[in-house]
Amino acid sequence: MLAAGAGLRCLDGLGAEEIIRFGELLHASAAEGRGVRSALNAHQSAAVTAAAERILPASDTPGATDANVTAFIDRMLADWYTPAERDRLLAGLTDLDARSRALRGRDFVALSEADQVALLTAIDDEVTALWRAPSPAAGNANDHWFSMLKFLTVWGYFTSEVAMRRTLGEYPLPGRYVSCASYDPRARSGRS
Amino acid sequence: MLIANRQPEYDAIVVGSGMTGGWAAKELTELGLRTLVLEAGRPIDPARDYREHVPVWEMTYRGLGDRRAVDARQHVQRRSVSFDEISHVFWCDDVDNPYSTPADKPFDWFRARQVGGKSIIWGRQVYRLSDLDFEANLRDGIAVDWPIRYRDIGPWYDHVERFIGVSGQAEGLAHLPDGPYLPPMEMNCAERHVRECMASRFGRERVLTIGRVAVLTQAHNGRAACHYCGPCNRGCITRSYFSSVNATLPAAEATGHLTLRPFSIVRRVLHDDATGRATGVSIIDARTREEREYTARVVFLCASAIESARILLNSRSASAPDGLANSSGQVGRNIMDHIKWGGASGELDGWTDRRVIGERPNGIYVPRFRNVASRHPGFVRGYGFQGGAYRPAWQSGARSAGIGLEFKNRLVELGPWVMNFGGFGEMLPREQNRATVHPTLVDAWGIPTLHIDCAWSDNELAIFHDMNATAAELLEASGARNIRPNTRGPSTPGNTNHEMGTARMGRDRRTSVLNGWNQAWDVPNLFVTDGACMTSSGNQNPSLTYMALTARACHYAAERLRRGEL
Repeated sequence: MLAAGAGLRCLDGLGAEEIIRFGELLHASAAEGRGVRSALNAHQSAAVTAAAERILPASDTPGATDANVTAFIDRMLADWYTPAERDRLLAGLTDLDARSRALRGRDFVALSEADQVALLTAIDDEVTALWRAPSPAAGNANDHWFSMLKFLTVWGYFTSEVAMRRTLGEYPLPGRYVSCASYDPRARSGRS
Repeated sequence: MLIANRQPEYDAIVVGSGMTGGWAAKELTELGLRTLVLEAGRPIDPARDYREHVPVWEMTYRGLGDRRAVDARQHVQRRSVSFDEISHVFWCDDVDNPYSTPADKPFDWFRARQVGGKSIIWGRQVYRLSDLDFEANLRDGIAVDWPIRYRDIGPWYDHVERFIGVSGQAEGLAHLPDGPYLPPMEMNCAERHVRECMASRFGRERVLTIGRVAVLTQAHNGRAACHYCGPCNRGCITRSYFSSVNATLPAAEATGHLTLRPFSIVRRVLHDDATGRATGVSIIDARTREEREYTARVVFLCASAIESARILLNSRSASAPDGLANSSGQVGRNIMDHIKWGGASGELDGWTDRRVIGERPNGIYVPRFRNVASRHPGFVRGYGFQGGAYRPAWQSGARSAGIGLEFKNRLVELGPWVMNFGGFGEMLPREQNRATVHPTLVDAWGIPTLHIDCAWSDNELAIFHDMNATAAELLEASGARNIRPNTRGPSTPGNTNHEMGTARMGRDRRTSVLNGWNQAWDVPNLFVTDGACMTSSGNQNPSLTYMALTARACHYAAERLRRGEL
């Protein structure tokens, strides 16, 4: 308890315990699961890694694998999405293997890069078609498992340290505001 | 009452340590009053609690928030635009702090319980009201007249702005008075273009100016200039934006007259029926749940508009059966917020070789232009626009078509300049927009909570629809393409977090709670200086007015105390 007459400086010794308790409350589920719970088995993890790299490949800037996007996706599936949402994406991975086997008799991870790109492009086109003409049977484009995977890949990549430093050049923070700075898109996307 | 004859422990008690509580603490202590500030929440230590520089890759959910925990404990607070994976700790726990609404009338009650209150997470935009606002109820025959005019508050706006530091551009508009501004933040190329196009089409009728913002563009009163890192809502270790933690509470502490007691949830204001005076407050310790009382010669309620009304309504006694200071029946009524989400955006050609560097914690502002010089047939009052121009980054393409290198390069590149206008519209005071004590629902400390019944009226909805039309006009005047009016419905009442009006000022004790000095008609040593005091809402972001009225009321109270008149 704060003694009467004490000022703000006596706050220093007071609050740690409370803020920790508050934080623990809010993060209880995450704290339990962090680094322990996992939604992806080794096979699914390899498929996600391969698909993510085909979505955002390494070039003269880092790719999805460099950004360890799979770890982020696994955490989101384990701790953030509802079980139904998680299962929709996992079922999509199963379907991806089924389509790979129909195409080449092999699981997705065993396809050539060119075949992986072709298959994912076909699936991406199906999502785009859903955007243009939502289908009651096939559902909402945002709910499609590949739309989820692509969103997670993009989010995980562009919020990673390597992408923020090397692809976007947004770190370290500039520490100033320039209202009309010059911008060269070719330099930024690494194609110059 | 037992305590009535005891010497009060303090000269003043201030309930709340946020935007207005911090100002009451500073003014009262600087006037020599021994002041106890009671804060319901935890202490804040900037070195530990401000986390604005945590990079997104160090966040567990990369900025998407701990969805499950938030769903479980902060399902209301999450709806604030400033709520994020880091800043969520600056909002209350909705399970511990429940309230109810009619099923068809949702109301977002955003609340903060920590030293600093919502001043840590506010939007920092500061605009003065003018006599267009102070005369509005009288002119329109709505509710009651403000008991003050601009001349009464003008010097106090100066007083507050000089201390907090406001960057902005003087525009010489009578209905949006200028202040002593620090240098304005710069507009980007697209915003300058829109300003020029609007000037040539609309002259001085529709003006685009840089936002007036309580963020420092140069060192000021011992606080450093902004370094443009971006997320002000997570704190500010350089104290560049104004909050009570960053400025007023340290000033109060420096006087040696401040006692700040966190974890002190005020249950009621104590009242001596014999003298008609407040004697102090009764609190519950948030950690030990012990109850105790504090006494003082004067009590300031600065707990936030709806919370202060709750305290008054919960301070019922034999002599005040409907709640303290409520002989008018107006406590808890006239809830106002600002209606938002009307507006439009459009793309601007050009400046493809330009971008901004750094995060400007501010946008542009278009002061009210409806019902200023002419009269609109569809509604009274008006709205202002906030917004700005930006180049969309990868976030906007996360679900766009394609995979592979071309897709990646497209996401890396910035999109065309997009100019956006979002309106903030005035809400009329209506008695039926009301908070009442819930008959059964209590918070985690057993204190009765509120039932909030509040909805927009036709006037607000007419304002909302006009926002879409005029924002499109501004964009057309600027040569924008793909002009997209807002397609969402209006914001939920409360969502703008400008709630006010629940203990209004007025000229008549029969129809208002407070007089022109924020002093309760029924209880002369009780002052309410947060948003509860507002007689009308204006369309300007209101915190500046709350702060100015608080400082003014403190000087009035201190003078009356000195003369033995309270």
